[in-house]
Amino acid sequence: MSRPPTLASLKTIGHATPRIDAVERVTGKATYSGDVHLPGMLYARVLRSPHAHARIRQIDVSKALALPGVKSVLTHENCTVVWGAGSISGGRQYVDEIKKITRQKRYIFNNPVRFFGEPVAAVAATNRHIAEEALRLITVEYETLPFVLDQEEALRPESVQIWPDGNVSLDAKNEAKPEVYRRGDVEEGFRTADHVFEDRYTTTYVHNAQMEPRLCVASWEGDKLTLYTPTQGTSNCRHDMARDLGIPDEKVRVICKYMGGGFGNKNQNQDADLIAAMLAKETGAPVKLELSRKEDFIGVHGRWPTTQYYKVGVSKDGVLQALQLRGYSGMGPYRKNSGGITGVELYQCPNVESTVYPVYTNRAVSGNYRAPEFPQGFFGIQSMMDDVAYKMKMDPVEFVLKNMTRKSNDEVPYSNYTLEECIRRGAEAFEWKKRWHPPGAEPGAIKRGAGMAFMTIRSPLGQSSAVIRLDSNGRYTVFVGVTDIGAGAKTTMSMIAAEELGVPLSDVDLVWGDTDRCPYSVGESGSRTTDMTGYAVIEAARDLKRQIAEKGLPKGENALIASASPNPKSEGKVRKAFGAHFVEVEVDTELGRVRVLKYVAVHDSGRIMNPLTATSQVKGGATQGIGMALHEDLVYDRRSGQPLTAGYYGARIMTHLDAPEIEVIFIESDDGYGPFGAKCIGEAGIVHAVAAVGNAVFNSIGRRMKDLPITRDKILGALA
Amino acid sequence: MSKRKRDISRRQFLEGTGAVLAAATAVPALKVKLPTANPPATDDVASGVPSTAIRLVVNGTEHRLDVEDRWTLAELLRDHIGLTGTKIGCDRGECGACTVLLDGKPVYSCSNLAVWADGREVQTVEGLAQGEHLDPLQQAFVEHDGPQCGFCTSGQLMSAKGLLTHNPHPTAQEVRAAMTGNICRCSNYNRYVEAVLAAAATKNATTSKGSSGRSTASTKLGAEVSAANGRRSPAVSTSSRGGAR
Repeated sequence: MSRPPTLASLKTIGHATPRIDAVERVTGKATYSGDVHLPGMLYARVLRSPHAHARIRQIDVSKALALPGVKSVLTHENCTVVWGAGSISGGRQYVDEIKKITRQKRYIFNNPVRFFGEPVAAVAATNRHIAEEALRLITVEYETLPFVLDQEEALRPESVQIWPDGNVSLDAKNEAKPEVYRRGDVEEGFRTADHVFEDRYTTTYVHNAQMEPRLCVASWEGDKLTLYTPTQGTSNCRHDMARDLGIPDEKVRVICKYMGGGFGNKNQNQDADLIAAMLAKETGAPVKLELSRKEDFIGVHGRWPTTQYYKVGVSKDGVLQALQLRGYSGMGPYRKNSGGITGVELYQCPNVESTVYPVYTNRAVSGNYRAPEFPQGFFGIQSMMDDVAYKMKMDPVEFVLKNMTRKSNDEVPYSNYTLEECIRRGAEAFEWKKRWHPPGAEPGAIKRGAGMAFMTIRSPLGQSSAVIRLDSNGRYTVFVGVTDIGAGAKTTMSMIAAEELGVPLSDVDLVWGDTDRCPYSVGESGSRTTDMTGYAVIEAARDLKRQIAEKGLPKGENALIASASPNPKSEGKVRKAFGAHFVEVEVDTELGRVRVLKYVAVHDSGRIMNPLTATSQVKGGATQGIGMALHEDLVYDRRSGQPLTAGYYGARIMTHLDAPEIEVIFIESDDGYGPFGAKCIGEAGIVHAVAAVGNAVFNSIGRRMKDLPITRDKILGALA
Repeated sequence: MSKRKRDISRRQFLEGTGAVLAAATAVPALKVKLPTANPPATDDVASGVPSTAIRLVVNGTEHRLDVEDRWTLAELLRDHIGLTGTKIGCDRGECGACTVLLDGKPVYSCSNLAVWADGREVQTVEGLAQGEHLDPLQQAFVEHDGPQCGFCTSGQLMSAKGLLTHNPHPTAQEVRAAMTGNICRCSNYNRYVEAVLAAAATKNATTSKGSSGRSTASTKLGAEVSAANGRRSPAVSTSSRGGAR
């Protein structure tokens, strides 16, 4: 692979550029899925389980059907569609082979219902008020069953078995086993270590809480289904819909022009898509299904809560000898995604063992939320290590520099390595030596404290596609299957095309978000779009340039069309983005209140395509991380199994007044891969933010906060 | 869309089925045809449902129409007047995505009934630009990368507009306080505050108070916007402010 050009020679890439669709977004002209109105469209609503676990004995929908305006009612009795992406062994949604063998199937309507908020019935009616009224006319007779909410408790023998196979979620081979990683011999490591420390950390269910609630507009013309739906991956959504409905891919068209965020919970197809499609089929009319905010909170998914036990062995000079994690992830009753807990890979250590159990519970379903396995694991392990540093009487930064990863799993080299630079630059910009002090040392009721955390996150290469057409009027039209969830993919793809083609950005048009018009794209999940689809744009542009050189510019009705579906590899090296966050907080020890005073985020995400939007991404990620650290939780009533804080207010999502200024520093490196050396960025901002805040709180008050979120009551309790 | 003229009071509704049936099939009379992306539903007022005839001014245009008493202002604007720029994020007064100006004051349109807007003036995001010229706030939102996903943006803009009308030169903390009822889950709060302060610093930020008599987004703006569909619009500055290099 040829080396990308240096920054100085780049005309578009690397220059702060307002989003190409910003004007539409500030004038109200951007058409989101919910803004779509089709002639004769019906409105749909979903009836949801009021119980955490219950068998449906009987459903009577006759009164609902008799209500004027009601066109159709679906229940588990007349609709038995399996939602493939809803529950898959191993949580591996992208693998068709696994979808075929999975034993634990999630239907769009299940009996028994296994969590509060699980769909029981859906109604389509001539307007939304009638649909809502019809829900109240459906009578359901439930036989309530015992339930379990906590992931550790669910593994006790006396707990109810949510699935016949037990409460350890099945893996990709349909086996009820934990995910295990080992190198070296941890027992030997603990025997030879000078000091061994053990502790337990927990993290809570945090909802994605994207601003646009889940909805879908479904319409059939003959045997072809068109969906207007907010999805992070139109190609994946189409394929999932086709598989679940038993029709060929080309009989499904997915359109998503604008969407109001997702952060992972609009991947794949959703049950709302399937319900809307089935109601539209049933009624012969277009159907718009809208979820309320509460339904979105409890009926879609959020970050899996975890319980993490660590055991760490160090030598007397503070070098890691052995590291062990035993973790439990609460998946709700369906394993929508992996349930992993990352973090052990952050450290250089000869003896490592990580055992993580994805566990079924009767809470809301867990799934992907911005860096799905990372913030909870990074909080646990980096709090643990911060504590080890403290007990070893070491400065946390020195401890990190001594023990952090230098090769992937101490074995495979990284494609390049700037972790140390990130930490040193951050410490300097933050003035770590000045702000950090022995924990709890500040006098007075209001105490300041400094904390840091670092990260590596996957930045893989992979297959995606792009098409570019050059017309005789000199306009370049780029066709990419991206949807812009807010990360700026449309702008980035256009900038990449302009740069590679050597034309101004204004000469490039973009066609996106429509499976009938765009080729396959990976979807805006896993921070992959810039790396993968962006690289496909480069390859297509190169092909187009070759064609221009060969055939000349097109004239009259002629056009030149280039396409590419590259699948680049990083040749025995592991590609990762690196970063370090430094935080200063102030804790009011009388009120328990935490305020973030200073926040420095240093990131190496390779070449920064657009500093304007990349900075926003990091700011947003870090701010969400602060929310996870200090505020957010979906609290359940342990006696009824009902969620108590579903919604922005109850879950205490960050607001303007909570959000501190985030200073973002990019270290731009170039490993020779990806488009112009770009690495992932979308998830990078959140992954270590939680741990950094937790460590700052420790430095402030001298008490280790081990359970998220770090709320006032917990701080006051720790200080009491 | 049918343009049959009609003016039915709530009393007339209750008086006989004839009126009720008419309400079920007719479309409210709008004095001026609005530029809408999506046609409003044709059977707007459902039969047998209490409704009220109201008058209100939206973005400088007067509307006389029948509304079901259960409709929220957000629902009226989005589904029956076709102004979908106002977004519904929670429909229960928590997130602020639906913020509009009601007689110049920011309110959650999801938490106001449509009938309460009778005799009042509403300004939505569609009423901010003057012809092809973006409001200084909109311009600043573009330049400072205010919208990530953009779903909260209309609400942020309207809260900011309400703030600057009453306090043309706010401090950063005053901006945060005024906009704290507008959640941004992309958490682009720093950018929004930057943008509002930048707009306040531009000369004409506070010259256009209220929305009376102003035209809604013109066709010309619409054309510019669709032209921007894939490339930077001419109205957008190429300034590289806000970058982190």
